[in-house]
Amino acid sequence: MGIWIDVARVSTALNVVLLLGLSYVWLDNYRQFQSKHTLGLSVFSVLLLAQNALAFYIYSWDNLLSVWFATKVPAPAWKAMLALHVLEFLALVFLAWVTWD
Amino acid sequence: MEGVLWYVLTGTRGGANRVRLVRAVDERPRNANQLAEDLDLDYKTVRHHLDVLMDNGIVENSGDEYGAVYLLTDRVRQHWETVEEIIGKVE
Repeated sequence: MGIWIDVARVSTALNVVLLLGLSYVWLDNYRQFQSKHTLGLSVFSVLLLAQNALAFYIYSWDNLLSVWFATKVPAPAWKAMLALHVLEFLALVFLAWVTWD
Repeated sequence: MEGVLWYVLTGTRGGANRVRLVRAVDERPRNANQLAEDLDLDYKTVRHHLDVLMDNGIVENSGDEYGAVYLLTDRVRQHWETVEEIIGKVE
């Protein structure tokens, strides 16, 4: 079952990296434009960054939950969870691709 | 079009420089070389941003040959209030 939690850690870590990039661009643009539009993008990326950072924390460091996820969660549940993480990763890759331009 | 303008000009990494290019082209149509000089930007950077602006129907050029002059499209003129609002934010 160890492989599933590794994939979960890697995909949430990659999401964190992509969201750091997006937050960097959008917060910088908010600083320059101070518009509703750039504020919305900034808040969105920071909250989604918090979500993924929290997921990574839970999978890797949380005393209780990291052990539980590593040993007690059955494979079918992991597959469903990972589908969510991986889809989010792909969505962020495309968003970063158009934004880092 | 408004959504495209907001995203291309304020949602991306190169947005602020693209705003400067749109302003410059609005002042008077220029070729990529003149724009690079006038805005003190790298020629390749200017070409890239102009390609993005063309791709999104914000500017058009007078032809494909070297030295083509870039100007605003009718479409962006129709949404000029949005561009002015964006320009106003960086001033």
